[in-house]
Amino acid sequence: MAAFILLIGQFYLYTGGLVAAVFLLWGADRVEPNLRGSWLVRPMLVPGAVLLWPLVLWRWARLEKGRVDPCARHLPPRGGQDLAALMLALLIPVVLFGALVLRQDGPVERPATLLEAPQ
Amino acid sequence: MSVRFVPVQWNRNKWVYDGLLLAAVMAYLTLFLGYGAGAADATRPVDGAILRMRAFGSCAYFLLTLILCIGPLARLDRRFLPLLYNRRHFGVLTAAVALTHAVYVVNWYFAFAPTPQLEALLASNTSYGQLLGFPIEALGIFALLCLLVLAASSHDFWLSFLGAPVWKRLHLLIYPAYLAVVAHVALGALQDAKNPGFAIFFGAGAMAVSVLHLAAWWRAPSRRRAKGDWVAVCAPGDIADQRARIIRLPDGDRAAVFRDGTAYSALSNACAHQGGPLGEGRIIDGCVTCPWHGFQYRMRDGCSPAPFTEKVPTYNLRLRDGVIEIAAKANPPGTAVDPLTVGDPA
Repeated sequence: MAAFILLIGQFYLYTGGLVAAVFLLWGADRVEPNLRGSWLVRPMLVPGAVLLWPLVLWRWARLEKGRVDPCARHLPPRGGQDLAALMLALLIPVVLFGALVLRQDGPVERPATLLEAPQ
Repeated sequence: MSVRFVPVQWNRNKWVYDGLLLAAVMAYLTLFLGYGAGAADATRPVDGAILRMRAFGSCAYFLLTLILCIGPLARLDRRFLPLLYNRRHFGVLTAAVALTHAVYVVNWYFAFAPTPQLEALLASNTSYGQLLGFPIEALGIFALLCLLVLAASSHDFWLSFLGAPVWKRLHLLIYPAYLAVVAHVALGALQDAKNPGFAIFFGAGAMAVSVLHLAAWWRAPSRRRAKGDWVAVCAPGDIADQRARIIRLPDGDRAAVFRDGTAYSALSNACAHQGGPLGEGRIIDGCVTCPWHGFQYRMRDGCSPAPFTEKVPTYNLRLRDGVIEIAAKANPPGTAVDPLTVGDPA
């Protein structure tokens, strides 16, 4: 199973490398005017293109077909962020105190000390 | 603000920010590597490799904790806003420190595994059905992957290319990543630690994140949604000059009503750059200025001054019975709206 997961991971990254090369050398200029002529920045974009290649292909296709609502750019999911932050705030104490309850001995027991050998 | 992408838009503030950040990380690692061995349980002394992985692991944890504290702190007290300015470099550095921790772990604990190291890492503990002894490696891998994705997509190009809604949703991964890190430490190192200092610092950091987020949520302006085509905001005099009042509209969006002397205009509260809260900024040189990274917009039409091209939606305003009302529906980004003028707002 572990070997299979790693094989999938390798396939994902190799595909990402291919997509990153095509997108950053050719496609990005077509859909992002502010990138035209900016070559120094492209090496910094390689890790993102490799890791997010399904998202890159999806977005690239939408931009090429003009299926992007320009107003949507101004609608960040603030409501989703509030909910995510609230869930984090509530779950942290649960994880923390749950882990302390699980502990086999107390979390603040005196640490062992090295005794001097008897004279 | 930029009309062409560059690797990093360096300025003096970023140099100072990054310099202080790097110095703090170097100081922490030096102190940990210098004194960490002495603080370990005497019955189980640690060697150099374990000390290094603990130094980088704990450093990544505290960096991530600080990153998550900055947002709510800046909302609760404006004096913390400068910390928010270059938070993306903070995040990239955290991902690098966490990756170093992971490399030390793999190269030490799985150095002599009969299978490839990463395969051994995934297969070493598969007891997903129990809490005590839970495979914390999986939690760490998940958090590391999230941090790498966030760091790799932190450049403004990705925000522009993916669009704010997708980019922002992607970057919400920071929340499950932090929870995974807390669980990674709580079910791992905390179960075994004999030094109370570790438990105290770890617990205090995690609880600080929890309490600050709860406080920021509780004090968030306009948590309740208004109703109707026109929504009452406040009396003109209730908005301080050069400042704004934020209101949540029926569709869930937030708008900011700005006052510049006797003139009032309303813009979307979300900056076109990273969705920063424009209404928490102020008017500088006649332009609404985002408190996060200084992106500017004209009050009248929500457009950035030339040569910049960013623009945000505007809203119509009216005065009824001494109260400013805002249209519930936004105008398309960049639509010019004459400011509402009030004789003497007091």
